[in-house]
Amino acid sequence: MDQNRQGARASYVALSVFVALWILAPSAVRRFNREAFVEFQAPALNLLGKSRDMATFWEKKSRSVEEMAAAGRDLARINAALEIQINKFEDIRRENVRLREITRYNVPAEYMSVVARVATRDSSSWWQRIVIRKGRNDGIRPGAPVVFGNTVVGRVTAVHLTTSEVDLVTSPGFRCTAYLEGDDQNHIVLVNGVASNSLGTTKARVSVIPRDYSMPAGQPARVFTTGMGGVFPSRLMLGYLDGGTYATQVGNFKESLLVPSRDLYNLQEVSVLVPLHQNPGEALMQGDQFQ
Amino acid sequence: MKEPSDMRVLPSTPVERFRLYGVFFFFLAGFLYVIGGLVYRQLIQSTDLKEQSDTQSRRVVLRPPARGRIYDRNGFPLVDNRARWSVKADLASLQKEFRSEYLRMLAAEKAREAVSIDREKLLEDARVRVLQGWLNKVWFVIDETNRNTKVRKPLTKLTPVTAPVERQINILELRKHLRERRALPFTLVNDLAFPGTGQALTADDGTKSVARFIEQFPVEGPIRLEQDIVRTYPYGAMAAHVLGYVKDTDTLPDNVDDISEVRVETMQKLRYTGKTGAAGVELSYNNVLSGRSGWELWSKTSSGYNQTRLKYSEPEQGGNVMLSLDYRIQQATESGLAKLKDLQGNLLPAAAVMIDVHTGEILALASQPSFDPNRLADRVSSKYYDLIEESGGWLNRATQGLYPPGSTFKVITATAGMRKKVVDWDDSLDCGAFFKVGNRDYPEHEPVGFGEVNLDKMLAVSCNVWNYQVGIRTGIEALAAEAKRFGLDTPLLQTVSDFETGGQPMTELPYAASRGLVVPDREYKLRIGAGAWNDGDTANLSIGQGYLLTTPLHMACVAASIARGETRTAPSIIHSLERNGRHPGALPIGLNPEQLASLRGGMLRCVEEGTARVARIPGLPYAGKTGTSEYFKNGEKAHLAWMIGYAPADYPVVAFAVLVEGQTDTNTWGGKTAGPVAKEMLETWWPIAVKANLDDKPKVPR
Repeated sequence: MDQNRQGARASYVALSVFVALWILAPSAVRRFNREAFVEFQAPALNLLGKSRDMATFWEKKSRSVEEMAAAGRDLARINAALEIQINKFEDIRRENVRLREITRYNVPAEYMSVVARVATRDSSSWWQRIVIRKGRNDGIRPGAPVVFGNTVVGRVTAVHLTTSEVDLVTSPGFRCTAYLEGDDQNHIVLVNGVASNSLGTTKARVSVIPRDYSMPAGQPARVFTTGMGGVFPSRLMLGYLDGGTYATQVGNFKESLLVPSRDLYNLQEVSVLVPLHQNPGEALMQGDQFQ
Repeated sequence: MKEPSDMRVLPSTPVERFRLYGVFFFFLAGFLYVIGGLVYRQLIQSTDLKEQSDTQSRRVVLRPPARGRIYDRNGFPLVDNRARWSVKADLASLQKEFRSEYLRMLAAEKAREAVSIDREKLLEDARVRVLQGWLNKVWFVIDETNRNTKVRKPLTKLTPVTAPVERQINILELRKHLRERRALPFTLVNDLAFPGTGQALTADDGTKSVARFIEQFPVEGPIRLEQDIVRTYPYGAMAAHVLGYVKDTDTLPDNVDDISEVRVETMQKLRYTGKTGAAGVELSYNNVLSGRSGWELWSKTSSGYNQTRLKYSEPEQGGNVMLSLDYRIQQATESGLAKLKDLQGNLLPAAAVMIDVHTGEILALASQPSFDPNRLADRVSSKYYDLIEESGGWLNRATQGLYPPGSTFKVITATAGMRKKVVDWDDSLDCGAFFKVGNRDYPEHEPVGFGEVNLDKMLAVSCNVWNYQVGIRTGIEALAAEAKRFGLDTPLLQTVSDFETGGQPMTELPYAASRGLVVPDREYKLRIGAGAWNDGDTANLSIGQGYLLTTPLHMACVAASIARGETRTAPSIIHSLERNGRHPGALPIGLNPEQLASLRGGMLRCVEEGTARVARIPGLPYAGKTGTSEYFKNGEKAHLAWMIGYAPADYPVVAFAVLVEGQTDTNTWGGKTAGPVAKEMLETWWPIAVKANLDDKPKVPR
């Protein structure tokens, strides 16, 4: 009994000493510890992601020949349609090049695209953060926008050696400016993630909507990035205004909720648009130096 | 060995017993006192104490509402609200940083062995340094976005002293904030997107600044972006005297008592800075425009900062007001006035009004010089205030300016003469170079006179001698009565509105002239101690000079009344589809058809070939009457240029009046100076009227 009691006392003492050390430790040490933990965790996350990929592969491989033939036929049709699209885009691209040559308009590329597989969702932030399998080693920097196709997924908030954390559009830590479809005067509105419980549908809030704005008839209004803030390229899709709870009037403005245009939690792959030049927000996120 | 009796604990003697009971009752009384006190506090005083506790730990923050909009008659917004983006620092969240900086500075002071350390000053400096550091970060994000960032210098580097004022923490404002509004966030940048300041040169720059801050500045942290609304006047100085402007007010709104959930009488209320109308429609319709305040009930920390929002009520925007102005005609009117300049190139003080003949609704009302209400909507700089003061820009000359109407009054003299039957429309009078009244020669403005002059010609050439003769024959009583019949002594823009004033009379535009209006007569001259009335005074009055004082709006109403063949027009600045064309106090003009036709024909001739021919508009025949009256400017004689009229001549739709204050060194004449302004107004109005299908307008009975 005495030994048990002594053991328990020792545990409490050890825990207290550890907590005290953690509190008293310099912030650099604590940061180093956190980083070390993340890096220690990274291979496990990688393994998890790859295992999921492997499971998907075997699940597909186990399908019958008839199923595969039907899928092949569907894919052939899709391919045919896409080829037509490609030809159309090629025409547009050529026209674009021709016009640029005429006007001597030269736009340098502002972003470097890094494709990354999604490793996991981070359960520590109410399911509104994902971890991707690319990090500092791949050139990813904090603050970079994360997209899937033409859709904004979120923004990189923390970068580790081989993984990065991405705040989704619906995360309370996400904020950007947007234009609303149907607003001819292009007023900027504010898109902000909303904290919600894990069982609820995650959405973002769209605020500072002009009072006289009215949605286009017959369809939910699309919400696009403005490209004015220096982080997100312009005209990327953020989502749709949720018509059901639309138009909560606050003073001279209206508010609405934004439904992301994609299921953000079932994404397998995303692109990180790493700016070629560091922007001031990035410097602030790193929290060190600026001029 | 002692006896058992020696071991007793109870006292045996009366003295001992008395002592024991004394102590017992003392403690009992004390115990009862404590119990009683507890009962009293817990049961009897509980309500009051709870309220007192709430009062000490809670605070009501009042949230001003958005004011309503003001539209022109076609629904174009003349006054609106725009989003103002302010960057604010949450002082409660910065406490730790303030403390760290303070300790660091204190250590530095001690290290350099300072003789005395002013800790209060040190704490204030620490706050300023921390806030300045954050402000620098804000500007860093906004300024550096499009440049390649060079990462070298420390984040908390202070901005050089040469930086613009808005990039420095104002220590006086910080002190005031900590004293009066400690619970609210401290404003670092008041208006991030306001064009024309150091923050943003154009509206687009301003929007970019906001967007950069939103996307690049960390969401978490003590710095936040708040948006509220601020009054904006999209057309700048246009119609400023009608629209007015708003000013800050600390007065608690009426509906504060509606906060029924809490008793606010004794609770700390955060000083309320809302907006209230200060001039123009913003002032007269303040009750409609100002809306309903919102409030928030907060619990507060022991340091006085807000902690948790317990309850709240959203503010409600004020109602809208639709004015009768047409912004296109208003713009043209002001553009016409802006061309009037003195020899030094300064704008001449002037006013112009256009009203709907049928309804009396004012389509344009301009006064020059003016001011830009946008520059008065937020913080008024004393420099700008003084500039308006010096230029005389506060005065609405169209409704408040009192002037002798000069020859435009001759239409009333002629009407009075014909009604008194001292002259008829076809009578010709001999009009030489002057007319002798008593011992004095009253001159004609044409040195050789006009010879035989009838009513029609009198109005065309603005013959003075005809009016001297008719005025004296008519007599001062009839002449003054006629002027009063046309309402020259009656305040205008009076209305009764249940909503705005609870059924009390109100003036649509504040401070419109009322007591200063003068239609002189014998009594008036005696009252002001100027002696007995004489024929010379009557001669002066007959040409709109002397003691007579009126406003341009009154003269526009006179023109509208003649156009309708009535005596009164009740103008209004509010657009209403329910107006029926009836004007309170209006009577038939009292002339027979020939007389009225001649009066109107003379005014038409005035424009076609007379004194207003410079303002003739091909394809638009209209009636007019010019006037040039004398007034004294800084002790020297100067001229006022007038023109009144209505258009079109055959089926009047609008009436107008233009007044220009000439300077001592300017050559100012009714037709030549005021005429072009009238012309520009009508040239703008005419296509609009045609487009709006003029035929659908109600015809004025002739």
